[in-house]
Amino acid sequence: MTPQVPSVLVELAGLMGRNAEPGVPDGERANALRLSAGLLGMAAERWDSAADNLVRENRALAALLDDTAAEDDLRVSVLGAENARLRARLIAAHIAAEQAGDAQRLDAIWAELVASTERRKISTAPV
Amino acid sequence: MAHPLEPRVANYIAAKLPDASDVAVDGLERISGGASRETYRFRLTYRQGGQDHARKLILRRDPPASLIDTERRVEFEAYRAFHGSAVPVPKMLWLEEQDAALDHPFFIAEELSGFQAAPTTLFAGGYDAVLPNVAERKWTILGEIARADPVALGLDKWLETPAADRCWRRELDHWEHILDTDEAEPQPITRAAIRWLRANPPPPAQKVAVVHGDYRTGNFLYDPAGEIRGVLDWEMAHLGDPLEDLGWSFNPVWEFGRGLAGGLAPQAEAIDTWERASGLVADAQALHWWILFNCVKGQGIWVGSARTFIDGGNRDPIMVYSAWWLLNAQERAMLKVMGKL
Repeated sequence: MTPQVPSVLVELAGLMGRNAEPGVPDGERANALRLSAGLLGMAAERWDSAADNLVRENRALAALLDDTAAEDDLRVSVLGAENARLRARLIAAHIAAEQAGDAQRLDAIWAELVASTERRKISTAPV
Repeated sequence: MAHPLEPRVANYIAAKLPDASDVAVDGLERISGGASRETYRFRLTYRQGGQDHARKLILRRDPPASLIDTERRVEFEAYRAFHGSAVPVPKMLWLEEQDAALDHPFFIAEELSGFQAAPTTLFAGGYDAVLPNVAERKWTILGEIARADPVALGLDKWLETPAADRCWRRELDHWEHILDTDEAEPQPITRAAIRWLRANPPPPAQKVAVVHGDYRTGNFLYDPAGEIRGVLDWEMAHLGDPLEDLGWSFNPVWEFGRGLAGGLAPQAEAIDTWERASGLVADAQALHWWILFNCVKGQGIWVGSARTFIDGGNRDPIMVYSAWWLLNAQERAMLKVMGKL
């Protein structure tokens, strides 16, 4: 999830602290609470599966790209950086397949892109 | 407790109403949801011509950094151009482009009070009987925007007029540049969509029209009868291909999971309504291009929202909410439009 979950939780913690103080206009406090609740819900939904999804996706991308997915550090931020590296390579591979007219390769790339959106989907998503 | 902005707003308005006395502001509160402007409602009271006056007004102020970087004058002039026309908008009162009065530029407008804007309220069940009315009014008004003459409205003074065959390229260049600048991680689906759009350009615009830029369910005020009482959020208004607005209204993320255009009506019905009101034709292939383009534009906005938070320009949770809720949904929308999902 972008922005990264830890940086958002730190911001929400500060926001809650400020909203606990007297003098915050009611409407602004209510708005901050409503948005914070929504964000916490999304973070909670993705928390348990975050590392697992990234490892699975990085392995799938590496297989598609004839690459190797680094897994010596399993922090979500590090897996996310590896994911970004592999997805940048996927864009280059996609362009090459389009230029070559390689239908089989294109099908494989699109299948992985569809799968990636399934991994990232949240329950309240409008699509 | 009074909001700290109240006396500052009162001082500003007092200078704008030199014949008035006892100018006061109360009840100032921020309205939820605004990500590109801070929006507040308040009550203004004053005495003028021997009479007491009370008015409900809206303050729209630039935040420290925005989800969408736009000129507040564009929004102000677009509202002003359509006031009193078939496109319902609130009346604009004052535009302030300097920081001195309230720290950031802002404008003040009449409040259209007593109406709803939230899609969650519209789709909660209580409005089901009037949703067809909302749909008919929504795309009729969008057709009226497309039918309007930008020169007669005076908007060509404030908005660049592109050539009809340059509309698509100007918009695509703009949003691709934003993605290039703001993306925090690679966007393979969006990049594939951009390549397809460049390889399959649409025909020239039928006319160069006013484009609202963010015409969707959630950006208009509706009443219990399903009448639309105000079209809001004109900050991305520009001149261009009128199919751009129609395409944005068909972006699948604005279906709100209901499987209907804008959550309101089958797409074919909405197109019929728009064509009747605008006098224009929605060519199927051209419209397809503009719907996919609007998926790219949406992703540009959500990516920009994430970037603004990451860089610390604006740490409001709405900047995160837009990104977390819509980045993946917008990719799924692109896949759907491209026939991949």
